[in-house]
Amino acid sequence: MNLRIRRFAVVLIVLYVILFAQLNFIQVGQKTTLDADTRNTRQTVRDFNDPRGDIRTSDDVVIATSVRNVAGSEFDWQRTYPEGDLYSAITGYFTFGYGATQIEKVQNDVLAGRTIEQQLKGFRSLFNGQDTTGTVETTIDADIQQAAKDALGNREGSVVVIEPATGAVKAMWSWPTFDTNLVAVQDSKLAGDILNYLDDIPGKPLLANAYQERYMPGSTFKVITTAAALDDGLITKESTWADESEFLPPQTIDPIQNYANKVCGGDLPEVFRRSCNTPFARTAIELGPEKMVAAATRFGIGETIPFDLPRATSSQFGDVDYFTQNLPLLGIGGFGQGNTQMVPLHMAMVAASIAHGGVMMKPYVIGATYDHDAGVLQRTVPTVWKTPMTPATSSLLTELMVGVVNEGTAKCCMRLVNGIQAAAKTGTAQLNAADEPERSHAWIIAFAPAETPKYAIVVMLKGTTAEISEGTGGTLAGPVAKKVLDVALAQ
Amino acid sequence: MTDTTNMIAARRRSTEFRLVLMAGLITAGAYTLASLGQNSVIPPRILPFLAALLLVLMSAHIGVRWLAHGADSTLLPVATLLNGIGYVMIARLSERLAGLQTTWTFVGVAAFIGVLFVIQRVNDLARYKWTFFFISAGLLLLPMLPGIGFSSGGARIWVSVGPINFQPGEFAKIALALFFAGYLADNRELIAAGTWKVGRFYLPEPRHLLPLLAAWGFSVVVMVGQKDLGSSLLFFTLFIVMVWVATEKTSFLVIGMGLFVAGATAAYFMFDHVQTRVAIWLDPWSRYQGKGYQIAQAMYALGSGGVAGTGLGLGDPTRIPEAKNDFIFAAIGEELGLFGATAILIAFLLMIGAGLRTAMRTTRPFEKLLAVGLTTILGMQAFIIIGGVIRVVPLTGITLPFVSYGGSSLVANYVLLALLIRVSDSSARRLGEIPDTATFGERFATRLAQRRIKRHPEELEAMS
Repeated sequence: MNLRIRRFAVVLIVLYVILFAQLNFIQVGQKTTLDADTRNTRQTVRDFNDPRGDIRTSDDVVIATSVRNVAGSEFDWQRTYPEGDLYSAITGYFTFGYGATQIEKVQNDVLAGRTIEQQLKGFRSLFNGQDTTGTVETTIDADIQQAAKDALGNREGSVVVIEPATGAVKAMWSWPTFDTNLVAVQDSKLAGDILNYLDDIPGKPLLANAYQERYMPGSTFKVITTAAALDDGLITKESTWADESEFLPPQTIDPIQNYANKVCGGDLPEVFRRSCNTPFARTAIELGPEKMVAAATRFGIGETIPFDLPRATSSQFGDVDYFTQNLPLLGIGGFGQGNTQMVPLHMAMVAASIAHGGVMMKPYVIGATYDHDAGVLQRTVPTVWKTPMTPATSSLLTELMVGVVNEGTAKCCMRLVNGIQAAAKTGTAQLNAADEPERSHAWIIAFAPAETPKYAIVVMLKGTTAEISEGTGGTLAGPVAKKVLDVALAQ
Repeated sequence: MTDTTNMIAARRRSTEFRLVLMAGLITAGAYTLASLGQNSVIPPRILPFLAALLLVLMSAHIGVRWLAHGADSTLLPVATLLNGIGYVMIARLSERLAGLQTTWTFVGVAAFIGVLFVIQRVNDLARYKWTFFFISAGLLLLPMLPGIGFSSGGARIWVSVGPINFQPGEFAKIALALFFAGYLADNRELIAAGTWKVGRFYLPEPRHLLPLLAAWGFSVVVMVGQKDLGSSLLFFTLFIVMVWVATEKTSFLVIGMGLFVAGATAAYFMFDHVQTRVAIWLDPWSRYQGKGYQIAQAMYALGSGGVAGTGLGLGDPTRIPEAKNDFIFAAIGEELGLFGATAILIAFLLMIGAGLRTAMRTTRPFEKLLAVGLTTILGMQAFIIIGGVIRVVPLTGITLPFVSYGGSSLVANYVLLALLIRVSDSSARRLGEIPDTATFGERFATRLAQRRIKRHPEELEAMS
């Protein structure tokens, strides 16, 4: 019988070796696939159940934090956003089952304490029981952010304030938005229902409109056309344009008209501050498709904005072939109409590049990340993205934009407190065809103080109401920009 | 108690002592780690826990020292290690069940010592083979009785008597192994010889084979009737292996396999729940919302564990339905990783090795067959449930011996262990490794006889 017992032993060993092989197959071979399965909630639960570091503003206001839940809750920790909806486009949300967005997404490893540096330090914390979570410090200034929200009120639109010299975003607000606390709930079904509901709202509150959407920029785009023509030498400060109310470009019988069909003309400072359309249409067409497209490219148009938050979009102008076939569209593109589309953040960067001697910095909102002991993990170093114009052009543009504030389309609304001089360009982007009711976005880009710029700003109001559609960039967006800049410069 | 003059026994027992102590230390360490991982605190009741753990481990060890000091030294330590790891996982899953499992462990170890005490001459059990036949039949039928039997989780394998619920099937398998061993030890040559000529083949006389087939068929029919596929698979394997080893006829193995394939195919087409089991074995993902959920969660758990595991108390095994029971292996794989899961496999292989070594060392057919049968139960039961959890075979719900939560299973497995240790000790005596001293029963009987002779010397004369 012993021979049979020996054979039986071999059979059992083989069976157990099969078990061992299958274990390897599952725990090593299939691990990645299993972990990535969308129905596998283990990682999500672990993330959701772990402590998570704070996100705060540059002036130490906590805008996202984790608090301990009452004993007996399904999860130990609850993610909360103490400022409600004010920072939803910056922190993003952290949900159970629906992923994370914005900083909660891109800085997940730091917040959860999972970077290699934190893990190495965490070796020690194994023994003293401390958590290893990290903190993210944004570049946002809480006062400016609040001012942007207050000034915009319940009108749809975006406000972005950046520091021209660094590209640091000091405020970024858009309305409509949503309270991130609503979706950071423990009940994943409820979170899903709320997200679906928000997704169906026409104003797209879930999107950070300030950098994830693009809109027709109207006359604010004239700074780009002007910069292109000045750098090319096609025009100078002394160039003049004859008075006219419309201009017939080639390839069409449909003339380009000035705003409200006004007769408009004069030297560059005059047509710039009065925001005549025909001189810029003529300039764009004279420059030609190649040079205009090249200038747009120098400004970064057509490229995804290199922002440090996820899913930034790109501004659009058009390509050479397209404009060669459609010179009239190049003409109206020269003053920001037609197919021209700009991301609000990008327009703020355009203003900032004028303020910063013609150099456009990479925008960023994550200033630094810290480990649990406040040691710096990473600090963002300001870097140059584009050099869209020469310093001479930038100073002339500054002069032109000061003219807009003092005697031009922004005269009404951009007188800052304490006599600080601002530089600005307004825009009213007409969305309706000739025979339709008036519908337009109201824009302003500005920076201040004009001599030593500290802040550049864009304000954009979507033409969704009659009030906005009937107004102009100067009268509607101007006061918002003034209020925000006043708060910013009061510091 | 120890015979210090006997080197072999002393060495075996001191090895066992060190190994049992090690199993205890591993258990206590794991218990502390699990608590740290889960609540970041040293368990508040660590000292009473340690005391109880050492008490129960040492009782078992002293039991062996006292009652079976020549036995194999690895069986008990490996069993206590499995019991300990299982306990830590159960405690980590549910504090309430941990308390109950503690009680069951005490009862199990008491049963272990009790069996060692009562059964000192294992060969005597062969005489009661028919008793075991009826015991196993009765135990298997018990859950079918209205009033005391009830279903839980789809299988009617439970019996409720007063406040106690138990699964008689766990004990039936031991009784069945005892019956098979006893019957085959007596009749194996007759069965192997095959004097009944059918066509070109010589088959065993039906009257020799009938009791075996009856026992097997009975248990399988009852099991299928109770929807307990795991146990019927186990009984089938037990039957085939024991007949094959006893008769040394490969033909029985082939016939057995054939019967198995036929039975499995028939079951597949006859029963919906068998088809479901096979379907979720092949593809649990498409039935994720239904019956495949448990396996899918086990897969996620094992994947999440990876090579080194999440760490005790740091995983999420409560997501696996029945993690404390049939699926405890997935919970171990999650928190202890491939390393820990492999350790469990090795532990079972060690027990299989010790059990089969015991079977080979003994010369008596009954003891040999009994050791093979008991080892088959242990090794195959672990294989069937682990294989079911990790999708090597279709899932059939049975417990993982010594590891899963459950009183009946734990107590039955300690009884099984005691029998194996008893066979091992008995062969050591026969091989002369330790003196074959009289047992308590024999000494008691001798004293009684001496007293009678003193009082009634005439009886002795009459006998001679």
